[in-house]
Amino acid sequence: MKKPLIFSQFFRNNGKMMGGIMMFLVAFWIIVLILLPQLSMLDFSFRFNLPPKELGGPKDVYTLHNYRYLLYGADGKEGTYNTVDLMVFVRTIIAAMAVTIADLILCYPLAYYLGQSKGTGFVRLLVVLLIIPYWINEILRAFALRIIFADSGIVNDVLMTLHLIKEPIDFIRADIALYAGLGYAYILLMLFPMYNVIESLDRNQIEAARDMGASWTRIHRRIVIPHAKPGISSGMTMVFMLSAGALAAPQILGGPSSLWFTQLVYQWFNGSLNWQQGSAYAIVLLVSSIVIVMTFMKIFKVNMGDIGK
Amino acid sequence: MKSNVFVSRLALGIYLLIFFGYLLGPLLIMSLTAFNSNAFPSVSPWACFTFEWFQVLFHDERILNSIKNSVIIGIGTVILSVAMGLAASLVLTQVWAKWRSTYYTIIIAPILIPGVVLGISTVVFWDRLSRILGPASDALFHNGIFLTVLGQSTFIASYAMLVFVARLQRYDPGLTEAALDLGATHTQAFRKILLPFMRPAIASASVLAFLASFENYNTTTFTFGRYPTLTIELAQKVRYGINPSISALAFIIVVLTVFGAIALEAWRRNKLKALAVKEGTAPVGRSILPGFLRGNWAAVVLVLMSFAVITVFWAGQSYSPAQCKQRVLELKQAETQRRIQELQLQRQIKRQADALKGPDIFGPSSQSGTGTAGDNPFGGVFNPGNLEGQSGTGTGPTEQPKPEEEPKAAPKPSPFGGVFDPGNLDDVGGN
Repeated sequence: MKKPLIFSQFFRNNGKMMGGIMMFLVAFWIIVLILLPQLSMLDFSFRFNLPPKELGGPKDVYTLHNYRYLLYGADGKEGTYNTVDLMVFVRTIIAAMAVTIADLILCYPLAYYLGQSKGTGFVRLLVVLLIIPYWINEILRAFALRIIFADSGIVNDVLMTLHLIKEPIDFIRADIALYAGLGYAYILLMLFPMYNVIESLDRNQIEAARDMGASWTRIHRRIVIPHAKPGISSGMTMVFMLSAGALAAPQILGGPSSLWFTQLVYQWFNGSLNWQQGSAYAIVLLVSSIVIVMTFMKIFKVNMGDIGK
Repeated sequence: MKSNVFVSRLALGIYLLIFFGYLLGPLLIMSLTAFNSNAFPSVSPWACFTFEWFQVLFHDERILNSIKNSVIIGIGTVILSVAMGLAASLVLTQVWAKWRSTYYTIIIAPILIPGVVLGISTVVFWDRLSRILGPASDALFHNGIFLTVLGQSTFIASYAMLVFVARLQRYDPGLTEAALDLGATHTQAFRKILLPFMRPAIASASVLAFLASFENYNTTTFTFGRYPTLTIELAQKVRYGINPSISALAFIIVVLTVFGAIALEAWRRNKLKALAVKEGTAPVGRSILPGFLRGNWAAVVLVLMSFAVITVFWAGQSYSPAQCKQRVLELKQAETQRRIQELQLQRQIKRQADALKGPDIFGPSSQSGTGTAGDNPFGGVFNPGNLEGQSGTGTGPTEQPKPEEEPKAAPKPSPFGGVFDPGNLDDVGGN
């Protein structure tokens, strides 16, 4: 019986009209845009891919077939695992984690430097310089890396001029371009949350610790990192989720033999037109990345409310 | 101790250099490739400084059309997501504390859901709904623009919400209460009190939402239907055949972004300065610069950059790379000439050797010995004797439009065969 009370109070606070509009917008967003699509995708993933005529017919029943396919491959191949797709999945998750950690290591010193040296014009200039790549299209950033890592690209040219290598290295086939591209695409989502929290850290704390004789590593371990934890976890969550779910960078920078899990989803959806199978793969991706993020949040004792700050 | 400081400064400098090199280097190189006349985007070897890729870009119907789609979808997304984000943030301040974290988790989740999943779920849901509602709804529910706006708004509204929540933290609810006490209706209080307070946040959320919509790929790639956005079109171009007109577009976007970033900074500094003046802490000094530029490097850079862009644009109108291209062409031709002369020399030696052997000069044995006329499909049609008569009439002019192929084709046996024969080329040089 609490619900009507909440609503009446809400309408008393906001008026009938404003309250109604707000309620409608929020309900539309949460129910029609967030919940129902996810649920219908979940529902879809448990169905067979039937021609339109057989929909609603006797064959239109729930099945685990789509998930079984990811594990075991096509029917009739009992006892063998679908190693191709499973390897792609594992590789995607592990590579996304590696990208996340690499970005963290790259960003932490800069976030600390920017956050702690306040106000100077040079630091503002650096922040403006950071914003520029942040605003530029994901596709164009991948394209830029593709130009650089091409056979006749500048990286190969420089290495050849320095006589470090004789033949151009195929960075695309070696997946170096892909990892560099993924790290490049989301690095600023790691930097900005960290920068924001470290900026709010009182300098006096660090100086006090230094005066007391704490070593440099100890200051970071005991003061800076605990303070920056919400920012670090927020950044890591964003980078991990986005790089596990990235599609543009793998499509543009991925080697011919290596796939990203989202590319499998894309193929099922747009290539084979098997939406049900694609939905199942998408659900697997969604659930497993959420589980991974939640696990790490539990381990490091971070709240959901810290994300997005 | 001193050397220690120096070492740490040096390390910091190197680190900053690497970080910003990684971040900005690719964009810089991509921008440069837009001005190189090579057909594959590259900076080395540098051929000619050219604006031709911009012309290619401006005549690309698909790109122009996709920009139109992007703008329409962007505007739709801004309206929908800003409205939903604002409503959601206002509700957040009123939800009971017990429910707040659940509610917050739900509305923040779309940021974390992979874009691919959002796109698929949107398409699947509306497809299902159209099947339930019958064919009448098909046109709308399978419309690319409709689906893309909804799919993008799902997560862009979360971004907008975050912006509003930050601003609302500084709002004093007492203001609304005072307005209500003084007899304003709720709608009036919202319009006259809350909305003006939220205006800066609404502006920045709109810009953010538009940018996010404009560059979204993962969600849009499933929902766009028959209305590809710029990002989709770009991705298709990048995946299936690269040419520098993409670099030209990238250059334009980079320049616009730099402009935007600097303008934002200039505006921010100006505001800070106005604040300082109000508090009487502004440094007093004389300067030759007009007021709004004083002590504001960003504004200075902004003005300088506008001049630079205008100059480049103006130069682009009158500059023609034809001369340079001619020079590169001539260089290439000289290179070809040199190779051909070498070949000729070799041929002469061969011929002399053959002449020593016997009189059969144009026989098959000699033909296979000459590099250019060697294995060509036209047989002896283009052999030197023939060419003397032909070159004056037809082949000369027809050859000129494809200068690019010359240096590649000449040295090795090619399908063009003897078209590139020495006599032929001499004639071109004469023209």
